[in-house]
Amino acid sequence: MATATAAPPAPPRPGILRRASRSEHAVGWAFVSPAVLIIGIFGLLPILWSLLLSFQKSDLLTPQTPWVGLQNYKQIPGDATFRLAIEHTIIYTALFVPCTMVVGLVIAAALNRKVRGISIYRTAAYVTMAVSTINEALVFMWLFEPSFGVVNAGLQAVGIPQQQWLSDPNEALYVIVAMTVWGWTGFAVVIYLAALQGVPQDLQDAAAIDGAKRFTIFRTITFPLLSPATLFLAVWLSINALQLFDEVYLTTRGGPLYSTTVIVYYLYDQAFQQFNAGYAAALAYVLFMVIVVITFIQFRIGNRFVHYNR
Amino acid sequence: MRMKRSRRVAVAASVALAVLGLAGCGSGGSSSGKTDITIWEGYTDVEGNAFHQLVNDFNSSQKKIHVSVLETNNDYALQKVLTAVRGGTPPDIAYLYGSWAPNVAKIPSVVDLSSVVNKPSVNWQDFYPGERAVTTVNGKVIGMPALVDNLAIVYNKSLFDKAGVAPPSPSWTWDNFRAAAKKLTDPATKQYGWSYAADASEDTVWRWEAMLWEAGGQILNPSNTKAAFNSPQGLQAMTMLHDMAVVDKSVYVDTTNSKYMDLFNSNKIGMLVTGPWDLSSIHVPYGVQIMPTFAGSSAGHQSISGPDNWVVFNNGDTQTKAAETFLTWLTAPAQVKTFSLATGDLPTRASVGNDPAVVDQMNKKLPGLKTFIENLKNVKQARPQVTSYPQISQALGNSIVGVLLGKMSPQQALSQSAAATNQALASQ
Repeated sequence: MATATAAPPAPPRPGILRRASRSEHAVGWAFVSPAVLIIGIFGLLPILWSLLLSFQKSDLLTPQTPWVGLQNYKQIPGDATFRLAIEHTIIYTALFVPCTMVVGLVIAAALNRKVRGISIYRTAAYVTMAVSTINEALVFMWLFEPSFGVVNAGLQAVGIPQQQWLSDPNEALYVIVAMTVWGWTGFAVVIYLAALQGVPQDLQDAAAIDGAKRFTIFRTITFPLLSPATLFLAVWLSINALQLFDEVYLTTRGGPLYSTTVIVYYLYDQAFQQFNAGYAAALAYVLFMVIVVITFIQFRIGNRFVHYNR
Repeated sequence: MRMKRSRRVAVAASVALAVLGLAGCGSGGSSSGKTDITIWEGYTDVEGNAFHQLVNDFNSSQKKIHVSVLETNNDYALQKVLTAVRGGTPPDIAYLYGSWAPNVAKIPSVVDLSSVVNKPSVNWQDFYPGERAVTTVNGKVIGMPALVDNLAIVYNKSLFDKAGVAPPSPSWTWDNFRAAAKKLTDPATKQYGWSYAADASEDTVWRWEAMLWEAGGQILNPSNTKAAFNSPQGLQAMTMLHDMAVVDKSVYVDTTNSKYMDLFNSNKIGMLVTGPWDLSSIHVPYGVQIMPTFAGSSAGHQSISGPDNWVVFNNGDTQTKAAETFLTWLTAPAQVKTFSLATGDLPTRASVGNDPAVVDQMNKKLPGLKTFIENLKNVKQARPQVTSYPQISQALGNSIVGVLLGKMSPQQALSQSAAATNQALASQ
């Protein structure tokens, strides 16, 4: 772009132009090469290596990794635990993504005003992102502790019987949803807050003059103009939801009775606990394809309703 | 999950540093005329200081060998070692959990220490049988004993006094244990008689395996080809868990395996079945007693040990020889004694464990250690050394948790995990 607009009116001899652009290329590559190198070595190479691994039988222990073709992939449909893991991942994603976005939007809307000390409130909203996952997990494990936790104490005060939470196979996954929604809300707030501040005041004023109520303005003007942020959050949160691992690892380790075993936890378990690295790599590639498809669908749907305020 | 991107960068950076660091010191060899060997271990606090002291003592006594210590987290040691082995720069010695032993034996660069442990000066028979069993896989000695422990009852003295229950005695049966746990349970004050680590990990499983042995059962058949725990003895052990957790509701089922110690210290749990490592975290008056027996079983008192190993990796003859020299020194009686006295870790050698002066001194520092040391003689069996043990452990772990939560009947749990075990053994 820059070279095109900066081209002098009288075209110089082609040799010089080519040389100049070549040296510009070289400088460009020099700037990005450290990042390219690091991403290449620690990002791309492992990705390619795990693709090879998915066609091999490997326990990570022995150097012999016989090529087994598609055998790892053929094993997947008959794996009952993996089916459970998919089910749990879908339930988790379907709850986590909308909940985080709704909570984030409500808080962002509340913070999008000029009052004394607003920066303190905004910092407070973002603080959940600054808390390390391990601290978050420890706090939530005690909050949702069945006998001594604050949550059950609160419920009992209003007459609801004691729940087992993380100890109950029917409830554990929902506790993890609550925990991660809390953890990611700060992120959604920041994105929505930035987007809200980009909504032009004149459009809202015009609507108000036309007699629109505050909720109508929000629904018909503000929310559509937030749609790029909404699409971004939906995609970003979905990818992260499908890759849920840390919170499960830190609290339930996939239990009780596999009730919180999600896809990434299951493939970690296969690779590093059960020494089935080849099979785990095949699972990882299945997950990768699923994420590609879901993201593609999200963009296709998104393009229909996203308004870019240009 | 959160901050994934930045964390990934941090990991990449630390890996890069580690690679550079290893390249710098791993194969260093003899720049100073000494053979440099690297040992990976995960001791912290008191144990860390004591271990560094021992290494310093060794280094200052040596003209030919220098030992460098790299601290790792023991839980992730195998993952790190595997990465290093793949990269061609394994440590010379690593601290690895005993439950990994059958799989560790598959790594080609692991050195067979048979010739070392057979030297008369090592006095191999002085190590407890459970430790020797865990170092040996198909006749190959893959390590030297690094740690030994066992399980016993640790109980809250004031809760027993308050409930008017006689404290655990060596003549207790599991029925006595159950009755006491029931009396110590009070739903009104949310007090429980017992707590069980129920995260379905090996920590869940080995506690039950000790009960299985006490009932007279076995984990696998003698040829390690089929599950043997789906037996009347297995049912007896599993039913005890069911009756206590589901019928009496006297068990705090700690599904995240992270709360029992805080609750014990808050006088909410009467008894634990745990190992010596927990004693230093207890702040309430406590007692230690060996595990109860099953009435009518001829197996008597048993316990289980989870010994860990020092494993040597082949980085060339000079390095291997140096590593063997260091390990022989580290596991000699004098050093075992020094380390146990400093840390309260049980002595890995019987000659030290049978020394009344050592035992008394340790027990004075941390009451109850005497019982744990004596309890080593009740460790009569070891877990089977099969490569599919992780799968077996996972199947059993989920069955035990299922029983504790009342989601599975004892027989259903045994049948289900036995089927999974047989399948894992068949495809081994």
